[in-house]
Amino acid sequence: MPPLAEIVETKELLQTVVFASVAGVGVTTIFSIAIWGAARFVDLSQEDRRVHAVAAAGVAAVALLAVAAAIVIGVIVMTSK
Amino acid sequence: MSSDIILVIVIGAALAFDFTNGFHDTANVVATSISTGAARPQVAIAAASLLNFVGAFISISVAATVANDVVDAAAITPTIVFAGLIGAIAWNLVTWYFGLPSSSSHALIGGVVGSAVAADGFQVVIAEGLLGKVLIPAVIAPLLAFLAAGASIGIAYRIVGRQRPGIVSRGFKYGQVLSGGMLALAHGTNDAQKTMGVITLALIANGSLGAGSDPPTWVIASSALAIAAGTYSGGWRIIKTTGTRIIKMDAAQGFTSQGAGAAVILASTHFGFPLSTTHVINGGVMGAGAAKRLSAVRWGVAGNIVVAWVLTLPAAAIIGAVTYGVTNIFGSGAIGPVVVTVVALGAILAAFLRRAQQGAPVTVQSG
Repeated sequence: MPPLAEIVETKELLQTVVFASVAGVGVTTIFSIAIWGAARFVDLSQEDRRVHAVAAAGVAAVALLAVAAAIVIGVIVMTSK
Repeated sequence: MSSDIILVIVIGAALAFDFTNGFHDTANVVATSISTGAARPQVAIAAASLLNFVGAFISISVAATVANDVVDAAAITPTIVFAGLIGAIAWNLVTWYFGLPSSSSHALIGGVVGSAVAADGFQVVIAEGLLGKVLIPAVIAPLLAFLAAGASIGIAYRIVGRQRPGIVSRGFKYGQVLSGGMLALAHGTNDAQKTMGVITLALIANGSLGAGSDPPTWVIASSALAIAAGTYSGGWRIIKTTGTRIIKMDAAQGFTSQGAGAAVILASTHFGFPLSTTHVINGGVMGAGAAKRLSAVRWGVAGNIVVAWVLTLPAAAIIGAVTYGVTNIFGSGAIGPVVVTVVALGAILAAFLRRAQQGAPVTVQSG
C-alpha cells in the first residue's frame, strides 16, 4: 500500500477545504452586510438623512448582487465537472 | 436469466434505499428553516423535495467514486452488491429502531465493502479509494462545517449586532429561503449519487455496462425521483413532530449552519467525495450553536452521533458479509437473493409494526 500522503488526495481535499470555507464564510459575511445596509437604510430614512440612507441601500443592493453572483458561480463550477 | 432477476432485485433494493435516505433526511434538510419560521413546513418540504430531484442531475463525480474507487468493479457480482445493500438497509433499520443517529451513506459503503470482502477477500477493496475518498473526508467534512458555521455566525453577529433585531431576523429568514434551497440541492447532489453509483456497479457487474462507465440517464433520473419522493414522504411525519425534535436557533444561526453545510457538501461533491450529508449538516448546526453558547449544543446527541459514526461502517460491513454468506448457501442463482429479500421485507414490516406500537424514537436518523 502506498504511503498515506499518496493515498490522500491532498490537493483536492485542500481545495474542498478552501472552497467550502470561502463560500460558507464569504456568503454569510456579504449577506450580513446586505442586512446591515437594509437596517441602516430604515434607520437613516426615519432620521430623514436621505443621502446616507441611499448609500446604505446601495451597499445592501451591491451585497445582495454579490451573494447572487456567488451562488450562480458556485452552481456553474459544480456543473462544469 | 437468473443474473437479470438478481439485477432487478438489486435495482429495486437500491431505489428503496434511496427512498429511505430521502425519508430519513427530510428533518435535517428542512429543520432549521422550519425551526426559525423562515418557511412553512409544507413549502419547505415541497421545495426540498424538488431541489433534491434537481440536485441529483448536477454531477456524477460521487457516483463514479462509489462505482469505481471503493471496490474493484471487475471482481463484483450483482449478488455482492445485493448483499451490500441488504447490509446497509438492515443497519439503517436497526439504528432507526433503537433511535441511533447513523449515516445511511456510510452504511451503504460499509455494506458493499463487507460483502465484497466475504466474496473475494480483502484484495478486492481499493484501500486508497476507501481511505482517501471516503474515510478521511468523512472526518474532515463535519469539522469543516462546524468551523465554517462557527466563524460565519461570529462575523454575522459582529456586522449586524447593533442593528434592530426585527429587521435582522427578517433578513436572515429571507436568506434562509436561499440557504435552505442550496442545502436541499447539495443533499440531492451527494446522496442520490451514492445510489446511482451502486446501481452502476451492479450494471457493470452484470455486464450491462463496461468497466469505468458513468451512470446511464435512466439511473440518474430514477435515483433522483426516489430520493425526492422519499424527502416528500418523510416530511409529513416531521410536520407533526417538529416542535419536539428541533433545536431552537435564531434565523442568523439557521442561515449560517445551512450555508456552511451546503458549501461543504457542494465542494466535496465536486471532487467526488461521498459524505454523510447529515454529519455535515449537524456539524454546521453545532458550529453555529457553539459559537454563540457552548451549552446550546446538545453534546449528548453529538456523542451519540460520533459513536454511531464509528460503528456504522464495520457494522454494515459485517451484516453485508453475513448476508452474502447466507445468499451463497442457496447457490449462485436468484433463489438466494429472493429468499433474503422476502426475509428482509418481513423483518422490516415487523420492525415498523413494533415501532408503531411503541411510538417513534425522538432521535433524528441521518444519511
